[in-house]
Amino acid sequence: MEKETLLNLYRKMLMVRFIEKTHERLLMEGKIQLMSHFGTGQEAVAIGVTGPLRKEDILFGTHRGVGEYIGKGMSAADIWHEYMGKRTGLSKGKGTLHLTDKNLNIPFVVSSLGSDFSISVGAALASKMKKTDQVTMDFFGEGTCNQADFHPAINMAAVWKLPIVFAVCTNHFCEMSYYTEYYPTEDVAIRAKGYAVPFEIVDGNDIEAAYDATERAVNHARSGKGPYLVEYKTFRMSLHFSGDPGGYVKQEDFDYWAQRDPIDLCQKKLFERKILSPEEDKKLRAEVQAEVDAAVESALKGPDPTPEDFISDIYEQTGVL
Amino acid sequence: MGRTISYLQALNEAMAEEMRRDPAVFILGEDVRMGAFGQTSGLVNEFGAERLVNTPIAENAITGVAMGAAMFGLRPVLELMFCDFAMLAMDELCNQLGQWRYVSGGQYSIPVTIRTATGGGFRMGYGHSQCLESQIFQAPGLILVEPSTPYDAKGLLKSAIRSNDPVLFFEHKKLILGGVMGEVPEEEYTIPFGEAVIRKEGKDATVAALGFMVYEALTAAAELAKEGIDIEVIDLRTIVPLDKNTIFKSVEKTGRLVTVEEGRIRGGIGAELAALAVSEYFDLLDAPVQRVAAPMVPIGGSAVLEDMYMPNKNSVIAAVKKTL
Repeated sequence: MEKETLLNLYRKMLMVRFIEKTHERLLMEGKIQLMSHFGTGQEAVAIGVTGPLRKEDILFGTHRGVGEYIGKGMSAADIWHEYMGKRTGLSKGKGTLHLTDKNLNIPFVVSSLGSDFSISVGAALASKMKKTDQVTMDFFGEGTCNQADFHPAINMAAVWKLPIVFAVCTNHFCEMSYYTEYYPTEDVAIRAKGYAVPFEIVDGNDIEAAYDATERAVNHARSGKGPYLVEYKTFRMSLHFSGDPGGYVKQEDFDYWAQRDPIDLCQKKLFERKILSPEEDKKLRAEVQAEVDAAVESALKGPDPTPEDFISDIYEQTGVL
Repeated sequence: MGRTISYLQALNEAMAEEMRRDPAVFILGEDVRMGAFGQTSGLVNEFGAERLVNTPIAENAITGVAMGAAMFGLRPVLELMFCDFAMLAMDELCNQLGQWRYVSGGQYSIPVTIRTATGGGFRMGYGHSQCLESQIFQAPGLILVEPSTPYDAKGLLKSAIRSNDPVLFFEHKKLILGGVMGEVPEEEYTIPFGEAVIRKEGKDATVAALGFMVYEALTAAAELAKEGIDIEVIDLRTIVPLDKNTIFKSVEKTGRLVTVEEGRIRGGIGAELAALAVSEYFDLLDAPVQRVAAPMVPIGGSAVLEDMYMPNKNSVIAAVKKTL
């Protein structure tokens, strides 16, 4: 991988981790109320899934953390203004966790997991009918993959040969249970077989492996060969959501995966390949944290939504019907 | 230039004209190339299979597909064959479709039209015969339309397809299969949402009816006229937005309100109209509001049971008399 590319992916992973850790701290300090579902330990998946996407490609992401949104091009400021419910947010504070950025082709983050399987297929159908060369990336977790709509969605994508990639992040947990409790198989990806969709399984903690697999999948979809599915294996080091009491994660699993932290692994590569020195790394981290802190500060000062905002955007014309 | 065409043909013409006018319009649904009841029949010959997309049987998922396509530049017209089956799509209809514009801060609009067949009378049993408009009535961000004549069907469907808001379009099976005919001009026209029509003027009581029930109300009006009772019949045409003003003006004149729908009574459209009357112009009412609607009973397969279930002209006559 090109030096610049790897360094850029590393910076993005740091941004994701720092935004989420800052969020956690602000919650604990009582400065914000917005609960969240953090994705600590799976940053390489989110950044690897979005790294090879073009700006015009469409991303349907997950509720877990901010990884894929940073990966697709949102800034810390974009996220914080919206997270804090300010009218300066991307969705004027109406979405908060449901990040949307039409300019980046990020349509929405759903609440009811899996509602977007078919919506992403519709987006890919539109690209095909309009003969654009956009790819739709539908990124979700193995927990969501138990929703019924996964099946008709991937089925239609396969039947209609749509330019879409299904990216499954297998982080070992479906909310507060090990995924093995809900899966008869170790791998999720083999479900693609039933729909004649090519698939691969990749180490989700290795940013290069994750990125390369995504690139193969995206190229396949863009070339008109139809959908592709990638399963990224990782481990969620944070709990399901900010109020989760925990107690269900086996210590030996946690210890094993702590040794395989995706940011540490990437840092090691950068040091070994002399792309980054420890001093430069320190400087980079301070710079990223400063960007996050500045975004938080500016968002805290942002204006609140107005009564006019309350009744606009329900229909095309302002007002309640 | 007037000519007489069927309700079915009116729907078909509206879709054909809009597909000719705008290449972004396409149709999808189960067997739409053939057309389950005939609404979309023949369109494939002119527009090709690419713009008439047959889908698998997966109502929630195909509703999501329509939504996604609408967000990325197309104008899908989705057919959910029976409104009973639309209940399989409640997540997309009620959680997503009408809310993403708002929650995205207006970044996305979702120009989807969803057509679905309602109503009983064909002995199709419990799961192919219901009127379930009120199940969707509570979801925000949607437009709900239910025309009763070929003229309205064509004009309102064209407006629905051109609308940048998601529209649910209810077609009663007695109107599409029953060969209801009506005058429809050759010239292009559309009908705005939120305008009810007075089908018959009268002074003794206001009867606000929805969809096919407009005909039952008009039959009731003719029979009541023989007894010297002169009712006003309003055809609501759109449920959201609701033409509150036309109903208000009528009640101002008559002092009495009867609501008529084929859906079930609890939490129905009539309940909303009654609540509006009581909270907004109680002082105009000379009698309690009466609701004509189906009972809280499943629809039996037997013709005898279905007939017991179905509101009709007799229920309208009885309700009107209660207000006098």
